[in-house]
Amino acid sequence: MGKKILIVDDAAFMRMLLKDIVSKAGFEVVGEASNGKEAVEKYKELKPDVVTMDITMPEMNGIEAVKEIKKIDPNANIIMVSAMGQQAMVIEAIQAGAKDFIVKPFQPARVIEALKKAVGEA
Amino acid sequence: MMRDEYLSVFIDETKEAIQNMNDILLKLEQDMEDMEAINELFRILHTLKGMAGTMEFNTMMTLCHRMENLLDEIRNGRMKLTEDIIDRLFKGADILEQMLNSIEEGESDELEEVDVDSLIKEFEGFLEGKSVGSPKAEEKKEETKEEAEEEKEEGEETSIPIEITDELVHVIKEAKEKGYESYYVRVTLDEGTQLKAARMYLVFHKIEDLGGEILRTVPPVEDIEDEKFDLDVDLVVIAKQSAEELSGAIGSVTDVARVVVRPFDPEKELEKRKKKEEEKKKEEEKKEEAKKPEAHIHHKDDKKKRKITQTVRVDIEKLDTLMNLMGELVIARSRIVETLKKYSIKEVDESLAQLSRITLDLQNIVMKIRMVPIAYVFNRFPRMVRDLAKQMNKEVDFIIKGEDTELDRTFVEEIGDPLLHLLRNAIDHGIESKEERIAKGKPPKGTIILSARHEGNNVVIEIVDDGRGIDRDKVIKKAVERGLIDEARAMMLPDDKVFELIFLPGFSTKDEVTEISGRGVGMDVVKNVVESLNGSVSIESQKDKGTKVTIRLPLTLAIIQALLVKVKDFVYAIPIATIDSTLKITKEDIQVVQDQEVVVIRQEVVPIIKLWEALGIPHDEEFQSMNVVIIKMGNRKYGIVVDTLIGQDDIVIKSLGKLFSDVKEFSGGAVLGDGSIALILDVANLMM
Repeated sequence: MGKKILIVDDAAFMRMLLKDIVSKAGFEVVGEASNGKEAVEKYKELKPDVVTMDITMPEMNGIEAVKEIKKIDPNANIIMVSAMGQQAMVIEAIQAGAKDFIVKPFQPARVIEALKKAVGEA
Repeated sequence: MMRDEYLSVFIDETKEAIQNMNDILLKLEQDMEDMEAINELFRILHTLKGMAGTMEFNTMMTLCHRMENLLDEIRNGRMKLTEDIIDRLFKGADILEQMLNSIEEGESDELEEVDVDSLIKEFEGFLEGKSVGSPKAEEKKEETKEEAEEEKEEGEETSIPIEITDELVHVIKEAKEKGYESYYVRVTLDEGTQLKAARMYLVFHKIEDLGGEILRTVPPVEDIEDEKFDLDVDLVVIAKQSAEELSGAIGSVTDVARVVVRPFDPEKELEKRKKKEEEKKKEEEKKEEAKKPEAHIHHKDDKKKRKITQTVRVDIEKLDTLMNLMGELVIARSRIVETLKKYSIKEVDESLAQLSRITLDLQNIVMKIRMVPIAYVFNRFPRMVRDLAKQMNKEVDFIIKGEDTELDRTFVEEIGDPLLHLLRNAIDHGIESKEERIAKGKPPKGTIILSARHEGNNVVIEIVDDGRGIDRDKVIKKAVERGLIDEARAMMLPDDKVFELIFLPGFSTKDEVTEISGRGVGMDVVKNVVESLNGSVSIESQKDKGTKVTIRLPLTLAIIQALLVKVKDFVYAIPIATIDSTLKITKEDIQVVQDQEVVVIRQEVVPIIKLWEALGIPHDEEFQSMNVVIIKMGNRKYGIVVDTLIGQDDIVIKSLGKLFSDVKEFSGGAVLGDGSIALILDVANLMM
């Protein structure tokens, strides 16, 4: 059984893309969320091994969501999904407890690498 | 990348995003301080950028990126939103749309005829303009840059990238006493690493997690934060771990290509680093060279043709055929039902009921295929109205109502241009200039309302403005000048007839032909298009109050539910959608108010007409009780008196043909289950 992944992104397109990349690498996508609020809920419910978290989202942004999830589970493995030019936000997210980040546009190899590192497989 | 698979999703989502962008921009134009809208716009652009980048539409990505940057400045209060910027953002949205169209057609996002670069530069210009506004920040940046360069130069002279100060030596000494080792660390990131600063931050974070401390970085931390470094950063670190442990930990960070950890010994490092510096330079040059051809390949790749499978385009003719066949099927079913009514066979009844259900479902689907919300046409108007109003220096509030009204796909395609024409007219001829409006005591901002609704068998589209109205005398004068009518006759005409003159070919009331409207071909084209769709158009206008143009289009729903009624031996069909209720009345219930026969239903006075009178059928009117079908149109109700109510049925509307296009009482005919023919009453026209 592959490690459980929760994908958080407001664009269905991005979720689909990530889902494809990670499931091809043998991870199991257990859930998707389209905003931070949903992400926190889903995290409680699904207890995934890793969360990929978009930063700019409606309702609750990724950084807030990281903070919330960390409150629930201080050991949560969260990888930020960022676009170029979000340096400050990424740093903020890392301060909030995100383990790593990947940058859009995705390169599948990098995404997989980050995920594997997050779950301690590499 | 696996682009083809995702292209259709990309296109759909991007389309939506661009539409949202336009909507928000319109909102922002009303209220430039609307932070929520600014944030939303930023978010949209950000998402778009990410998607475009993933699909390798680099020009699109760059454009989004520039707009996003600009908005970021604005939402952080470092810049103010101006009309100029909004204009450019609109332009950006337009170009994005063009790019998307081009992508959809299987081309790339490179537009040949549009100068995307100059727009991108303009966005950059806005950003620079802001920097000029706050020269301090600029200077400061410049300073740190110079400092960094100085430092580097010095470093090159002495071949030590890390300047060794007394303080540094002192700190290392103290650390050693506490059991810390000091290391020189060089972290090299993967080529193509993005968000290098954040990545470096992650490295620092890691070192600190281990209990280590970073004493010095080259380039300085501020520069790293500003991403002013290539791929490697040099550090002086003190930690309790061994060199291997440290190197392993740092190396585990994603995107770190190489980690060099060595005990920090300034003397030894000197020479080695000198060599490395030279190598690095060479490497850089090579990279630079290597980049160019790569970019070129990407470009070629973009031109590759793609196909999209999300939707299927169907020739409208095929849909028409399908609709006709559907009609025949409905008739055939009615016939079978009619025939079998005579014999009550249980098994047949069951399968017949099923057949009916299936036909009904099928019918619904076929109908739905053809129906689209009028929003498809209306959606593009807010932008156009805005642009036009701006061009003409007028202030207009544009309100759209009933955009979810559905109508036949053919209409949607045809009606766009006439509506645009009418809107242009409303802005150009109708709405007065701000000064004029104030002088007239009107609100300075004009209002144009575009609305759509179903009314019985019709879709009614109205364009209402509160402008200067149509000048009756001016219309007559023009018409006479153009030789369209003689003056004596024109003077006699009632207002609505006068306004109809506007629809004559070659008529224009505007003295000067403007670029926007008034070419004198407008209104007659509008009329032609509407009439070709079997619709009608009318104008109501009051001087200084405004103008209302009403377009009525028939619903071409070829199959409708109708109530069949009988007068003498004639069967007529009344569309169910227009019927409020039916009731029985006696002769005594009918009263006469102002020469109009009425009945009172639940304290409501409802005028009635006797269908045989309206249609001129000889009738002896001997019935004591009569059936009345109450028709509801908008807020208006009236009753149609008939002999008998037969029942409800699906009927297939067949046009009466060109020959009977003047017949106002009927909207069409239908073949009934028993093969006989019923005329469909056009209830909107029956009682004017």
